[in-house]
Amino acid sequence: MAQAKFLEILRQLRESGADFVIVGGLAGVLNGAPIHTPDLDIVHSRDAANVARLLTVLESLDAVFRIQPERRIKPNASYLSGPGHLNLITRFGPLDVLGSIGRGLTYQDLIPHSAEQDIGDGIRVRVLDLETLISLKEDLGTEKDRAILPLLRRTLEEQRRRERPVC
Amino acid sequence: MPPEEQDLPPELQPDYSEDGVDLSLVRWMLSLTPAERLQVLEQHSANLEEMRERNGAS
Repeated sequence: MAQAKFLEILRQLRESGADFVIVGGLAGVLNGAPIHTPDLDIVHSRDAANVARLLTVLESLDAVFRIQPERRIKPNASYLSGPGHLNLITRFGPLDVLGSIGRGLTYQDLIPHSAEQDIGDGIRVRVLDLETLISLKEDLGTEKDRAILPLLRRTLEEQRRRERPVC
Repeated sequence: MPPEEQDLPPELQPDYSEDGVDLSLVRWMLSLTPAERLQVLEQHSANLEEMRERNGAS
């Protein structure tokens, strides 16, 4: 499997004008958590215009469902318009395109819990904040999610400590 | 404190949270910009992939 090139996927997503929020492990990393993640998770806006933009960029990324990559099943507008999770593989690595997350939270729900970050080369992306990421992982409660929680919680504590004004 | 750490001066001793998180690693990551954090992740992925290839993984 080729090495994941997150910056390249994100560059193309941004250039397409698609609206999305980065969630999952990469949101943790961008917020400063010392964790590793093999894939990029995004929650996208499911309005028709955004779905059309996403379809175009996913095509240029050669995205297909990774459950059976040899069948080369491509995502379509119907899949992208729903709340489900599309686990894709692109030529720059794995990309999970999520219509909703947690207890049905959509792109619009996540906007107030996210902020824009500059990830290099002038690329700005919207990233879910640590508080919400922790809350989602607490809700999910899988072993994998629980394992990562101490690192996320300590990162949030340290982040808050740094933001506290010095008296 | 493990014996191998007892000889270190206090400022060089590891700093772990009660749940075992290496806080020096957290602080180091927080000292980086988001762009640098992404580079760390991509470099880590590249290193892992290189090791997998050297071990003959497909």
